[in-house]
Amino acid sequence: MAKPKIAICWLGSCGGCDETVVDINEVLLRVAAAVDIVLWPVAMDFKYDSLKKIKNGGIVLGIVNGHVRNSEQEEIAKILREKSQLILAFGACACFGGTPGLANLATKEDIFNWVYRDAPTVVNPNSNYPQTISNVNGKELTLPEFYNRVYALNDIIDVDYYLPGCPPPPYLVLHAVSAAIENKFPPKGSTLAPHRALCDSCKRNRSKPDKISIREIKRIHEVEADPDICFLAQGIVCLGPATRDGCGESCMNINMPCRGCFGPVEGVEDSGAKFISTMASILDAESDEDIARIVSQFVDPVGYLYRFLLPASILQKKQIVK
Amino acid sequence: MSEYKPKLVCFSCKFSWGYLTNEDMLSSKIDNWLPLICTGKIDATHMLEAFRAGADGILILGCPEGECHYQDGNYEAKKRVCLVRRLLESVGIEKERVRIELSRDPEGNRIPELVKEMRQELVKLGPAKRGLVTEKKSKETTKVRGGK
Repeated sequence: MAKPKIAICWLGSCGGCDETVVDINEVLLRVAAAVDIVLWPVAMDFKYDSLKKIKNGGIVLGIVNGHVRNSEQEEIAKILREKSQLILAFGACACFGGTPGLANLATKEDIFNWVYRDAPTVVNPNSNYPQTISNVNGKELTLPEFYNRVYALNDIIDVDYYLPGCPPPPYLVLHAVSAAIENKFPPKGSTLAPHRALCDSCKRNRSKPDKISIREIKRIHEVEADPDICFLAQGIVCLGPATRDGCGESCMNINMPCRGCFGPVEGVEDSGAKFISTMASILDAESDEDIARIVSQFVDPVGYLYRFLLPASILQKKQIVK
Repeated sequence: MSEYKPKLVCFSCKFSWGYLTNEDMLSSKIDNWLPLICTGKIDATHMLEAFRAGADGILILGCPEGECHYQDGNYEAKKRVCLVRRLLESVGIEKERVRIELSRDPEGNRIPELVKEMRQELVKLGPAKRGLVTEKKSKETTKVRGGK
């Protein structure tokens, strides 16, 4: 019997997600023996053309990391959707748009002007901007079209499973891959990570007082955080209460508060909004002025609450036109 | 432009606002009025959801300070509104689009007045920025559905 085919592909991605696949170490060799990897641009030499030759549905699992911001990424995502029985959105960018999604706070024009004209290190005397089609020596050269915004993968194609994280930890990758090989996937649409919030497994949880009440909002670089005490109890913004568990607490372990790369907990669409409600409940203010004073200490709320999630947030999620 | 009618969602707590009046009568005078029990129930998600659904502004009417039937729901709502306003500002939506007032009006006559007042403010601001910095996006891509 032929081995099941798997494709691993990056769209708008930094490569960290591919790295985490490699981080499953020698298990990868067993995986490679059990499946036939038909595409993995970061590690193996396959061309997209060879992908087009595969019959529709011929790939058992397409693992896609990275967001979609240009026509090339969109095209590849759509080809993979056609060829794959199942699509796994891998990593925060594919699931929610990721950190690059913060670019949705600026227009395409702003971005181009900065990158090709205004940034202090730019030398561009002829004001050249990238064009989708240009003619050089009688030959037509093309570039992918840069879209107006960053999209999460499920804005572009149907996604069957989600594995969030920046990047997803190797043990969850392992679970996902073994589930694919053994054909033991949960219902479609599931996120292949725990359902509860990060606080549930956080070691600092026990240090939390009965009722957290803070009068100052601090940023992690402004204070020396106690490594054993709940960040929120110290007045440091930590997205643990609104963020899905499963990351392995890699940030907590180096005394950094949660920044939300695992996205919302099960059943929640927008963890930023949920965190606002959490945060409001722990603010201990005496008057309107006091509320205003404390709230003004929360610097760059959109950058913190939606660091990985902006394109998938309530305010920005693409409306599906039916 | 003079025809622009901003959409305003008004939440009000039944413990202080309009509880002596026939709700149906009053609701005929107010568009998008949501009387509820305790403003502390209004999550930040509901506020953002209202904007997604097309609202240009949100008015929340809670009980007077210190008089919440459930101890401090109105105070919680106030803090939440303050944080939501801060968030909206950071995504480029005017904070004036969300307002909370803690007071009492059993007859509810002031509700349509307050709504009207805020609507006039919203006319000055124009339609709320929604979704994205640019509006073209929905035509940019079409979604591909999976098999089965």
